[in-house]
Amino acid sequence: MKKLRLYYEEHNKGPLKLLWKHFAPQHFAFFGLVLLIILLSLAVLTPFLTPHDPYLQNSQLLLVPPSWQDSGLVSYPLGTDDLGRDLMSRLMLGASYTFGLAILAVLGSLLVGLVLGALSGMSKGVKSSIFNHLLDLALTIPSLLLAIVIVAVLGPGLLNTIWAIMLALLPQFIHGVRNAIAQQLKQDYVTAYRLDGANQRQLLFSVILPNTWEQLVLMGTMALSTAVLDIAALGFLGIGAQSPTAEWGAMIADSLDSIYLAPWTVALPGLLIFVTVLAVNLVGDGLRVAMKKRREN
Amino acid sequence: MILHYLFRRLFLLAFVFVALTVFAFSLSYLFPGDVLSNFTGLRNISPADEVMLTRQLGLDQNYLQQYLLFVQRLLQGDWALSFSSQQNVLTEMLLVMPATLELAAYALFLSLLVGIPLGIVAAVRKDKWLDKLISSLALIGFSVPIFWWALLLIMVFSLSLGWLPTSGRLGVLYEIPTVTGFMLPDILLSEQSYRQQAFIDAIRHMLLPSVVLATYPTTVMIRFTRDSMLDVLEQNYIKTARAKGLTRLQVLYTHGLRNALLPVTRQVGLQFSTLITLAMITEVIFSWPGIGRWLIDSIYQRNFPAIQGGVLLVSSLVILVNMLTEIMHTLFNPLARKF
Repeated sequence: MKKLRLYYEEHNKGPLKLLWKHFAPQHFAFFGLVLLIILLSLAVLTPFLTPHDPYLQNSQLLLVPPSWQDSGLVSYPLGTDDLGRDLMSRLMLGASYTFGLAILAVLGSLLVGLVLGALSGMSKGVKSSIFNHLLDLALTIPSLLLAIVIVAVLGPGLLNTIWAIMLALLPQFIHGVRNAIAQQLKQDYVTAYRLDGANQRQLLFSVILPNTWEQLVLMGTMALSTAVLDIAALGFLGIGAQSPTAEWGAMIADSLDSIYLAPWTVALPGLLIFVTVLAVNLVGDGLRVAMKKRREN
Repeated sequence: MILHYLFRRLFLLAFVFVALTVFAFSLSYLFPGDVLSNFTGLRNISPADEVMLTRQLGLDQNYLQQYLLFVQRLLQGDWALSFSSQQNVLTEMLLVMPATLELAAYALFLSLLVGIPLGIVAAVRKDKWLDKLISSLALIGFSVPIFWWALLLIMVFSLSLGWLPTSGRLGVLYEIPTVTGFMLPDILLSEQSYRQQAFIDAIRHMLLPSVVLATYPTTVMIRFTRDSMLDVLEQNYIKTARAKGLTRLQVLYTHGLRNALLPVTRQVGLQFSTLITLAMITEVIFSWPGIGRWLIDSIYQRNFPAIQGGVLLVSSLVILVNMLTEIMHTLFNPLARKF
C-alpha cells in the first residue's frame, strides 16, 4: 500500500532543513557535533593557539603534574611529559595530526571511492563482476595487516600510514557507493529521467549523486572513527608517527615508561582519542536516526 | 541448485587465492633489499650459491614461470626462511598461531555470551532506561581505543590491585608440554601434579587479554542484535502471533529470536577479521606469544620473508572463515539464497 503524501504548508522545508529538524533535538548527537566542531577548529588553528612550543624540551620542568594538583603550575595546565614538554600544547597539536589527518585520509579515500564506485555501479557484465570479486578480497584483509605491508614496503612514518589507511578504507567506500547507486537506479524518478532521454552521465550527476550524498556523509563518519583509531593504533605500535611527533597514539607509547610516575601522560592522550571517536560516533548515530525519522514522516 | 552455488563459491575462493598469492609474490619485488634474499630468506649469499639459487627459483625466467615455482614451493611447505631465526616461516607461524586462535576464540565466545542477550534485552525494552543504558555502554565500548583500554585495565587490576598478571600465557613456575598448542587443553592433557594450579594460573593470565579483545566485538554484537531484533519485531508475522494470543515471551522465543539471530550468525564470520586485527594490538600489550606480536616484531626487524608469509597465512585464514560462514549462513537461511 502506498502512502499518499500531502503537503499542507505553503512553504515546504528542504531535505537539509528537515534533517536538521530531526537531528537537533537529539541532545547527545548535538553535543557530539559541538565537540567535533571544536576539535576541527583546534586541528586547523592549533599553530596559533598553543601556549608553548610543543617540541621545546625544558630540563627544569620534568613531569610537572597537572595544575589541579598541589605541585602543578598554572602556566602548564596539563603538566609536562618526561622531557619537560608542555602536554597541553602537544595534545592540541595532536588534534591536527590524529584527527586532521584522519579527516584528510577519509576525504581522499571517499573521493577515489566515489569515482571507482560510480564506474562500477553504472557498468554491468564481466568487467564489473571481476572488479567486485577483487573488492570482496580486499574487504576481508584486515586493515592493520594492509598497513603493515605498506609500512614494510615504504618504511615507517606518519605519511605512509595515511596512505595505508586510505587504501584500507577504499574498498568499503567503493562497496557503499556502488550499493547506493544500485539502490537509486531502482527508483521511479530515475526511470522517468531515462524516459526523458537523459544519458548515463546526466543521470549520474543530476539525479543519482544528489540523492546519495547523505549516505556518503554517513559512510564518511563511520570511516572517520576507524581512521582515527587506526592512526592512533599504528602510532602506538611504533610503525606510524615516529617518536617526537605529537600524535596521540605515539604520545601514549612514549609515556609508557613513566606510567607509574606520571599516569596523566598516558591517560590524557587516550582520553582525547576516546572523546574524538565518541563524538564522531555520536554524530554518525544521530545522523542515521534523523535520516530514518525523515523517511518515516 | 545447492551444488551449483557451492561450485560458484569454490571457484570464487580459488580466484581469490590466486589473487592473494600473486600479491604475496609481488611483495618479494616490492620490499626493499635483494630479491633473492626476499624469496629465500637467506642473508649472505655467496656468488656460487647465487647462481645456483637463481636457477632453482627460476629468477632467470619470466615472471609467470617464477610465480608458478613460487606457488609450488608454497604448496610443498617449502616457505622462505625468517631473516632473524633462519627457520622456515611456516613452521614458525604454526607454532605461534594457536595462541592467537585461542585468545580470539575466548574473546569471540565472551562477546557472544554477553552481546547477544544484552542486544535482545535492549530491543525488547526499546527507549526505556535499560535500553538507553545498554546502548550508551555499547557506544562507549565502540569508541574506546583498545590499547588505551588495555593500559587502563592493567593500571587498575594489575598495578593498583595486583589481582591479575600483566603479560604472558602462563607463569614461569609451570612447565606444560605442548601437544595442541592451545594452553587450556594442553594443561588438561598433561600429567603434571600441579595441573590444577597451572589451570587457574592460565585462566588468570587469559582474563585481561580476553576482556580487552572482547570489548569491541561485544559492542558490535549488541548493536547488531538490537537492530536485527527491532527489524523482526516490526514484521507482520509478529503481530499475527500476538493476535493469535501468544504471550510476549512465547512470541519472542518462537518467532522473534529465531529470525533475529540468523543475520547474527553471519556477523560472527565478519567479526573474525576485526578480531585478528585487534588481537595483534592486544598481543603486543600483553606480551602474548601469538602471530600478531610475531608480525609486529617482524616489522621492527625488517624481516621481509616473515611479513610476506604472515600476510599470506593470516589473509587466507580470514578469507576461509568468511567464506565458510557465508556458505553456512546461506544454507541455514532460505531468505539469503539467491540461487
